[in-house]
Amino acid sequence: MRTSLTLLLGGLALLAALPALLSAGLLNAAVQMLIAALFASAYSLLAGRAGMLSFGHAAYFGVGAFATVHGMNAINGTGLLPTPLMPLVGAAAGLVLGIVAGWFATQRSGTAFAMITLAIAELLHALAPQLKGLFGGESGISSMRMPAWGLNFGSTTQVYYLTLAWVLLSLALLHFHTRTPAGRLTLGLRENSHRLRFLGYDVHRLGVSAFAISGLFSGVAGALQVVANESANYVVFDAGVSAGVVLNSYIGGVSVFLGPALGAALMSFFGYAVSDATQAWLLYQGVLFVLVMMFMPQGLVGLGGAAARGVSKLGAARAVPLLLLWLVAVLLLAAGTVFLVELLQRLCSQDYRALARAAATWPPVTMFGRSWTATGLATWAWPVVLLASGGALLAFARRALK
Amino acid sequence: MNAPILELRGLRKSFGETEIIRGVDLALDAGERRALIGPNGAGKSTLFHLISGNLAPTEGSIAFDGRDITGWAPQRINRLGLARSFQITNIFPKLTVFENIRLAVLRQQPQPTAFWRRVDRLPGLREATDQLLERVRLHPRAATLAGELSYSEQRSLEIAMTLASDPRLILLDEPMAGMSAEETDYTLALIREVTAGRALLIVEHDMDVVFSLADRISVLVYGQVIATGTPDEIRRHQGVREAYLGEEVAA
Repeated sequence: MRTSLTLLLGGLALLAALPALLSAGLLNAAVQMLIAALFASAYSLLAGRAGMLSFGHAAYFGVGAFATVHGMNAINGTGLLPTPLMPLVGAAAGLVLGIVAGWFATQRSGTAFAMITLAIAELLHALAPQLKGLFGGESGISSMRMPAWGLNFGSTTQVYYLTLAWVLLSLALLHFHTRTPAGRLTLGLRENSHRLRFLGYDVHRLGVSAFAISGLFSGVAGALQVVANESANYVVFDAGVSAGVVLNSYIGGVSVFLGPALGAALMSFFGYAVSDATQAWLLYQGVLFVLVMMFMPQGLVGLGGAAARGVSKLGAARAVPLLLLWLVAVLLLAAGTVFLVELLQRLCSQDYRALARAAATWPPVTMFGRSWTATGLATWAWPVVLLASGGALLAFARRALK
Repeated sequence: MNAPILELRGLRKSFGETEIIRGVDLALDAGERRALIGPNGAGKSTLFHLISGNLAPTEGSIAFDGRDITGWAPQRINRLGLARSFQITNIFPKLTVFENIRLAVLRQQPQPTAFWRRVDRLPGLREATDQLLERVRLHPRAATLAGELSYSEQRSLEIAMTLASDPRLILLDEPMAGMSAEETDYTLALIREVTAGRALLIVEHDMDVVFSLADRISVLVYGQVIATGTPDEIRRHQGVREAYLGEEVAA
């Protein structure tokens, strides 16, 4: 209890200090990480705790975003809803769509439920480009953050603190929800909705309530993105957004409250850091997801539990070096994989094949800031050595930890 | 004589061409313990599903405490004061025993689905949950995951969840199935204790249990009640002996 409180306070202090520590570019990335974290937490209320796998959560995020951009333009950031309160508009939009869509979707469970959520999101995605007035067409709709409460929201720092405040408030409310009767019943819904019915509960109403609350906080996340970007575009309804929140949540681990938030923050940070450096980012994301699902079904937060079990079984003196070894092995494997993927991606690219055809030989490729000959021994020895040594170390560490 | 707490009139249920329940009339008095016996496939579980709202009848009516509840949703019937257990254990396996019972007890709170109050601050909820746990002697197992309980403990948990709504009529579907003799004795005593003052309709294959527990017995054969009477009357009933008990004795 005390350790988790210390961790929580430390985390909050770190989040509060970030603007002093980071460049403007990184702070922007931090804003996106916070938004992704909130979106994943909202999603996991439905998918993790209520056990209803939605494949169309972009809809609630997107509706929150567009409601907010229209709200900003209509109210101009004055009157009852100054800029800092704008996410309330997104919350209301997400809630309303959540109630309507949830009323239909929760009539069914399992695959049918997933398909209905997918269909609702795709419906919006197909409709949005047609309704230019509402969704702005290709160019989207832009807006301005109006000054309010003595703040002009001109700097990234102010936007960061506004986002942080909303994300923390939302996470606190979502956590409070797990402690309420409605939150406990959500677990019952996942475990055995049939039994719940014979205990006298209206299961459909419980399902709609979980769906609506998830929609509400997804809407807040969408609103925060609009406040940060000062624009909204119908690409927020893209299936990729729906898929992203599923992947983020499960990579983080839906069984722990902060798991999805951490997963989403981590993945959007990687997206920010890596997407400029590689064209294969989506491949890495997919591979990571498959590996996590195969070997750590609890998600990355499950690693903490596994490490704790190792320490309690073998004692810290023996377990910690083994865990470090395990970490080194994973890093080696990752490095080998990245090396191979990047090499193959360059060798298979159209540019390279055109060059090779013109030169009638295999020209060298540039990778990691130096040039590698395509047929050189070192070029191929590196990934092989990395993968082999990583694999061997991993096998050893796993056996020793068992 | 009071009006019956449960009254079935001309109840029929078909699945496609097959008629499983073929005109059942049954009346249960308040506070009565009634056993429903019959060979496999007679329709006992189907009858339970019809009464509790899990299935809708094809024809006929069901009245609970003078109100027509035919075709009502299960949760609505439950709230009137009719609770049931299931033949196949039906609990929340990945939640703790405490949480299982708390979810059942929670329903009796004025705002059972509130999202603005903490569940551990609801007045009386914890006490009521603990009381029920003690009543079925699961108190030492409160923190265990329900799925990790022994079979007979899970049956006790089922009974506790059924009791949580303080029902006036309890339906128990084969509560002793798969139990050892010792567990059966224990569960029998438990059922006798917790159903005092309530009406009980129980399906059970263990004839010792049936004859010692029931005030009256109804015999269901091929979707029809062929006899109703006290244990002694049923023992002597010629048709019942031929249709059912005779086989049982011979076996």
